[in-house]
Amino acid sequence: MQQRQVAIHIDQVSMCFGQGAEQVTALDSVSLDILENEFFTLLGPSGCGKTTLLRLIAGFEQPTSGHLQLYGQRLEGTLPFQRPINTVFQSYALFPHLTVAKNIAFGLEMQKKPQNEIDATVEEMLALVKLKGFANRRPHQLSGGQQQRVALARALANRPKVLLLDESLSALDLKLRKEMQVELKRLQRETGITFIFVTHDQEEALTMSDRIAVMSGGVVQQVGAPADIYDRPVNRFVADFIGETNFLNAVVVTDGFDLGKLGTLPYPVSKLGLGSKVTLALRPERLCFSEDGLPGVVENVVYMGTDTIYHISLQDQPGMHVRLQNDYGAQAAYQIGNSVKVGVLADSIRVLED
Amino acid sequence: MLSASVRRTGLLAPTVITLFVFMVLPMGLMAWMSFLEPGTYGGVQWGHYSAKSYIQFLYEWDLDDQLVLNTDYVGIFLRSFLLAGGATLATLLIGFPTALYIALKDEKARNRWILLISIPFWTNLLVRTFAWMLLLRNGGLAEQFLSSIGLVKEELNILYTPTAVAIGLVYSFLPFMILPIYTSLEKMDWKLVEAAFDLGANRWMAFRRVILPLAMPGIVAGCMLVLIPALGSYFIPELLGGGKSLMIGNLIQNQFGASRNWPFGAALSFALLTVVMVTMIAYNLRFKRAPGADK
Ligand SMILES: Nc1ncnc2c1ncn2[C@@H]1O[C@H](COP(=O)(O)OP(=O)(O)OP(=O)(O)O)[C@@H](O)[C@H]1O
Ligand SMILES: [Mg+2]
Repeated sequence: MQQRQVAIHIDQVSMCFGQGAEQVTALDSVSLDILENEFFTLLGPSGCGKTTLLRLIAGFEQPTSGHLQLYGQRLEGTLPFQRPINTVFQSYALFPHLTVAKNIAFGLEMQKKPQNEIDATVEEMLALVKLKGFANRRPHQLSGGQQQRVALARALANRPKVLLLDESLSALDLKLRKEMQVELKRLQRETGITFIFVTHDQEEALTMSDRIAVMSGGVVQQVGAPADIYDRPVNRFVADFIGETNFLNAVVVTDGFDLGKLGTLPYPVSKLGLGSKVTLALRPERLCFSEDGLPGVVENVVYMGTDTIYHISLQDQPGMHVRLQNDYGAQAAYQIGNSVKVGVLADSIRVLED
Repeated sequence: MLSASVRRTGLLAPTVITLFVFMVLPMGLMAWMSFLEPGTYGGVQWGHYSAKSYIQFLYEWDLDDQLVLNTDYVGIFLRSFLLAGGATLATLLIGFPTALYIALKDEKARNRWILLISIPFWTNLLVRTFAWMLLLRNGGLAEQFLSSIGLVKEELNILYTPTAVAIGLVYSFLPFMILPIYTSLEKMDWKLVEAAFDLGANRWMAFRRVILPLAMPGIVAGCMLVLIPALGSYFIPELLGGGKSLMIGNLIQNQFGASRNWPFGAALSFALLTVVMVTMIAYNLRFKRAPGADK
């Protein structure tokens, strides 16, 4: 990867709302560097501070402490309309008294662009979000998904340096969402705009992002490429939040992990402290059934089309899910009530020290 | 079980009866009266029809019984419109910033402000108008204050002039401007203003392109609520204007009182009503496609 400029530099930013006993810490000392033309995703459960972080970048709020930079320029004191940053609001915030075309033209009119240029851009944007023929409608005459696309077109029309998208695909149906995901990616590549994308849909985050920041409770838990986050979660929260994960409680012994009644799972534990308690994270699709695995009983079998998921109950441990790909025409290999052995390969184990 | 149509008639009845008794009946009576001859000692001569009252609005009969143009009444109408229109403009200029200021406060402060604005309603407007007489008269508090800051040298001489009437109108109708504008601003989504800022609008542009259009229904409603009653106001010009027939309301009162020309009074009322109706219809046509409205 070539060396890219830092578009947004977030340095030790904290944000508190309210005072005294009612004080809420929405962001707790967040530091991030978002690169030029990067597709950067903020991922986290509801209320973890994603919108708050976007609002700080857009300039609607001032951080309680810490500071932000845009291409090396500190952002303190610059008002939202002075920042080359546009937002696609979570609630769309379309102007109800203006038509779709006028909504999209708003930013361009503010920049006093010539009328023919405005018209051309509006046309282009309408085509992009597949809303040609809706130009003269008003927002309340559109469906939620259509409104969301107008909001997207309106923010893009200005060609900002940084585009902030707050759950901007959430109201679309699956097919349209997939199309818009591809469109957004194409736009991001072609325009050079930095995208900061907020979602709590982890699949969307994994497929679209160059890098992801996983947040929880106002704290950034992990930043990394999708594969990093998925394969090498740094803590239990990230492992649990991204994808599906089985957790086993273990104690480190000389030749592996002691799983209580299930016996010992062999593992090169050289770097771990003997006797320390750890959590093992195992992805369901990395597991299999084999002769020398952990003994368990099939509790449930869920057919998913491409895969079948087996719910296995284990002694002394929380239950596990095992995900196997279905061969064409194959029947489920095990039935409810069967005794099975779950095979765990050493390199599929993630050790979390919590 | 009553049939649907009987039930519907029954449910509609109170409304229909109220409208008929309190609206159609008196209005019809007045309309009828305006086409009758005046009685010598007030009242009307039933059965003697004439359009004289409407002619009288523009003409008078000279000694030879010839019609000659008389612009006195038109003048009073014009003055009424000027005063009421001026009062509407003034209340708008004061009321809009006030409403905006209140709408930007947090909820507790907003409720406090609305309470403050409605406090004057607790006392009778007549009493408050008398208070203005005391304030505005020569040697009154207004004069003392203005001379203490050096704005007035001699006597204020403002009571019993159109200026005093204008002050009275602005004072008494200001809440009717503030409240509807506040209502439209209060339910406005302030995210929209953020969106405008985000798209590069400075404060003035955000105000002009977003806040103002969205407040428009409230502004129009406020203007109606001030203009229409101000046009027909009676005791404010009576008290602050010194009993001269300054506005339409006084003129009408005069016809039913001292002048003993009930038909003319009725005709004047209808002239005023027509003007108000035309304004309302114009308003409805203009705001048919108001923001958020269907179609
Ligand atoms: N203006 C405010 N006043 C007080 N608390 C606030 C304010 N805005 C946000 N918060 C609090 O800050 C926290 C983070 O809110 P934020 O809107 O950033 O969450 P989010 O991650 O965007 O959630 P969602 O996915 O539901 O949109 C929440 O606990 C919220 O209640
Ligand atoms: Mg949010």
